[in-house]
Amino acid sequence: MSTDDESFHPLGEEWEDELESMLDDTEYDSELGMKMAQDAMRVTEGELSEAEFHDRYHEEVMEEFGEDERPTKEAYEAAQEEAKGTASRMLDKFDGDGDETRRETMKKMGVGAAAVGMGAFGTVADGPEQSLAAEKGPRQETTEESDTQWGMTIDLERCDGCLSCMTACSQENDLDQGVNWMYVMAWEDENHHGASESGNTDVNSDFNRLSDFNMLVRPCQHCTDAPCEKVCPTTARHTRDKDGLVLTDYDVCIGCRYCQVACPYGVNYFQWDDPDVAYEDIDGFEDPEDPDEITHAKYEHGERWVDSRAPRGVMSKCTMCPSMQDGKQGEEKVGTTACETACPPNAIQFGNVKDEASDPSQHREYPTKSRAVINLNTDIPSADVVDSNVSDGDSLEDAIEAIDSTEDADLDADMVAIAKAIEIRSRESETEPGDGENNSILEKQQTVLEFVTALEEYVDLESEESLATLDLDMTDSLEDSAQIRLEQYAGDPSSFQLLEDVGTNPNVTYLGTQPGPEAHQVEGPTKYEDVDLLDKRQEYLDKETVGHVDGVSL
Amino acid sequence: MSTKEPTEADILRPINTFTKKYIILYGAAALGLVAFLIAWAYQLQKGLIVTGLGDWGSGGGSTWGLYIGAFIWWVGVAHGGIILSAAVRLLGMDRYMPIARLAEMTTIGGLSAAGFYILVHMGRPDRMVTSVIGHYHITVNNSPLVWDVTVITAYFVLSATYLGLTLRYDISRLRDDLPDMFEPVYKIMTIGYSEKEDEVIDRMVWWLAAAVIIMAPLLLHGGVIPWLFALLPAMPAWSGGIQGPMFLAIALMSAISGVMIISYAFRRAYDWDHIITDDIFRGLLLWLGFFTLLFLWFQLQANINGVFLGPTNSAVAAEAKMAHPLYQMAMAMAFLTLVYIFLQAIRPSLFSKKRALVASCAILTATLTEKILFVVEGFLHPTFDIYANTPGTYFPSAIEWLSLVGTAGLVALLFLNLSKLVPVVELHAVEHMRGDHEHSDDATEPEVEA
Repeated sequence: MSTDDESFHPLGEEWEDELESMLDDTEYDSELGMKMAQDAMRVTEGELSEAEFHDRYHEEVMEEFGEDERPTKEAYEAAQEEAKGTASRMLDKFDGDGDETRRETMKKMGVGAAAVGMGAFGTVADGPEQSLAAEKGPRQETTEESDTQWGMTIDLERCDGCLSCMTACSQENDLDQGVNWMYVMAWEDENHHGASESGNTDVNSDFNRLSDFNMLVRPCQHCTDAPCEKVCPTTARHTRDKDGLVLTDYDVCIGCRYCQVACPYGVNYFQWDDPDVAYEDIDGFEDPEDPDEITHAKYEHGERWVDSRAPRGVMSKCTMCPSMQDGKQGEEKVGTTACETACPPNAIQFGNVKDEASDPSQHREYPTKSRAVINLNTDIPSADVVDSNVSDGDSLEDAIEAIDSTEDADLDADMVAIAKAIEIRSRESETEPGDGENNSILEKQQTVLEFVTALEEYVDLESEESLATLDLDMTDSLEDSAQIRLEQYAGDPSSFQLLEDVGTNPNVTYLGTQPGPEAHQVEGPTKYEDVDLLDKRQEYLDKETVGHVDGVSL
Repeated sequence: MSTKEPTEADILRPINTFTKKYIILYGAAALGLVAFLIAWAYQLQKGLIVTGLGDWGSGGGSTWGLYIGAFIWWVGVAHGGIILSAAVRLLGMDRYMPIARLAEMTTIGGLSAAGFYILVHMGRPDRMVTSVIGHYHITVNNSPLVWDVTVITAYFVLSATYLGLTLRYDISRLRDDLPDMFEPVYKIMTIGYSEKEDEVIDRMVWWLAAAVIIMAPLLLHGGVIPWLFALLPAMPAWSGGIQGPMFLAIALMSAISGVMIISYAFRRAYDWDHIITDDIFRGLLLWLGFFTLLFLWFQLQANINGVFLGPTNSAVAAEAKMAHPLYQMAMAMAFLTLVYIFLQAIRPSLFSKKRALVASCAILTATLTEKILFVVEGFLHPTFDIYANTPGTYFPSAIEWLSLVGTAGLVALLFLNLSKLVPVVELHAVEHMRGDHEHSDDATEPEVEA
């Protein structure tokens, strides 16, 4: 460390800046955190006693957090006791008086004391250096979980196998032929036959009209307990603490491929040779600082290169677009991925799975209603259209007729029924989209609810007559009738996670039919080669194999 | 058995001779190694795409292949070698003393080859130090690959110490007959030597041997190496507790075979009929039979567990493995060798050293085949078996095949070099065979009177 470095932390000024910016990212007071960290270092150096340290910030900590459970509490309480003259020997033990106890104190607190200031703020660690600090520090405070976990809910019955997500991913990340981070396949097994066979009974609701195939969409599952990360001999494969993305540090990976071996889903693709698109040829490389022209070819979060296609000799896989999540590609792309944006039938719902209001959560928890919202939203007339075309005293039929006859709207009784059913079913759950990123399902639901509210200004939709017209009088309970109506419209898919019994805790949830243990891939509605994708990468790799003989295999 | 008395001159013969055959052998081994080094350089230049490997899953390839198969095979040879030597010391199996050092050297050679394979197999070997050692304190908690590197390093140190310590006795006594050009090496190796240390060294070596024997099932081929595979939930062809004993049995089979081949070569080259006796070959052959029997038994266990009412994924993997012609060939080779060993045990006239040599080669081929197949089978029949391109295809490229030649060359060179530097048969062994060395038969620790 240079002498002109004014930093209090032994790891220097740069480290402090990084910590400070980490504090800035939390909801807590950064200034207080840094002040405490500074004094915490003084505790380790013996300049300040633990009790004094605790006392100094006690009030502010109570104010900020509503509790003060710092590890120095014990020393503080001992000092309080001492002040009352009841336990003077306790002070010697804790206050670092004399060489032996001071050394003990320092040993006990060590770097941990420094982490008290930081750790109390529930900051998140990222990278090996931070995790090192966390290991030495009091764990319970430094590893508080982030409230963001990016993930997906994928509606397999909505997937029509168009492969748009695969091509979008390939373009976004400049992937080589055969490197299919996103992979879409059609499958069959004993109980679920594909489109080729007659008598397919899987397709039973109005809504599931998109594909006759059983589909599976397989991005990286960004597992909470990722086996790939556990086995990595380098920490290159890591989970970002701030948002739970499982990423590969292209600067650290040694290319042993153990992550590919350990992943039960087969989502990893090794960069066996130089990438087809050279680093220099990636779009946007001209001005990496310009957010409109952002390159994520050598995207860095902190100091880690984790985004886009990998360089030669290291492992790559689906990243869930970290440059987007970090706002490097503009605020409007936060909470989206290339594949989600590209999906025509909105089968992929990406977002913060820990946020109840997010798209994946909504789609997972209320699949029937969310499907109806997604489908209805594009066609539903706006509240303005309702206001300008419907007048008081109109019957439901008149109102529908009036709106339907205008140029800018189509409406029929079914749409009103579904909209009303959505309104009924959303009474008991979260309806505010909140400030989460791109919580589009709830936003779309708002549009539907606005329409219902506007219409109800003029027409009583819950009168017996209206309910009969809307077919919402099937049972005595309005909620049950609404649910049945929605299920008739959108189906009631079951949800599952892939290979749940392996214990990876994936962050991708599927709606639809789960492939059984003997399921096998079949040719899907769109052929890979028709959209310039290569399915079997080995065909490409074999061309470069020294001494390759066609058709010979172990 | 020969009636010739073993002498110091006998064990010094490799050091003090220099024959045309030696040069030819040396040249061939060097050529093999250099050829592979060139191939490796090409691989470094082009990337691992020059191998036959690929991505399992939608890619239709095999992530690991011959490199990893050969890696665990060499580690097996190495671990078996040191176990063999440790058993000789620990259990007082004096009969095998003349080959104990060859077994130790086999360990050093095997570990060198295995370590080399780790580098060859990596996409970015240049980052070995910064990425692996730099994060060691974190990764050692989780990564079986890091445990692997740890135990291999530990065993290298252990074996080298073991070998180095026992060499001090020989070198200090035979110093006058050793070539002067290596004087500095001998000086370093015998630094601070006095006859008083013999007893201490004996005891140290005993403890080292004890450590080897204890650690073998826990940390070596009975533990960490199979864990590299057996702990992963996604590849049914690898999983199961049987892999520990299985790997250990394979290690011992390979090592005994390897040591037999090397012993055969030295005996032939230096007329050591009276040192590495027929008796030793007969004994080794019996041990080989014992471990082969265990191996076949474990294979049977693994297969029955899969095919008879096993879970779908294990059943698919086990059936595919059993149906593979190379697997059948490897098992047949092991079984036929076992039959021969059994027959020659009940009818000793069936024994010949050449036949022992053939048996050794058969076992080494069988274990290497089994190892490579074992690695590849995992990727061909994973639990998530939905991909149309899985099972994929894999056949080792010319470069991968050449790596076997290269590493065999490396180990051969090690022996050729070492045999010119130090005696490959212990002086202790010669003294013991002559009966002039009052080597107490009990362990170095005096028995406690209860």
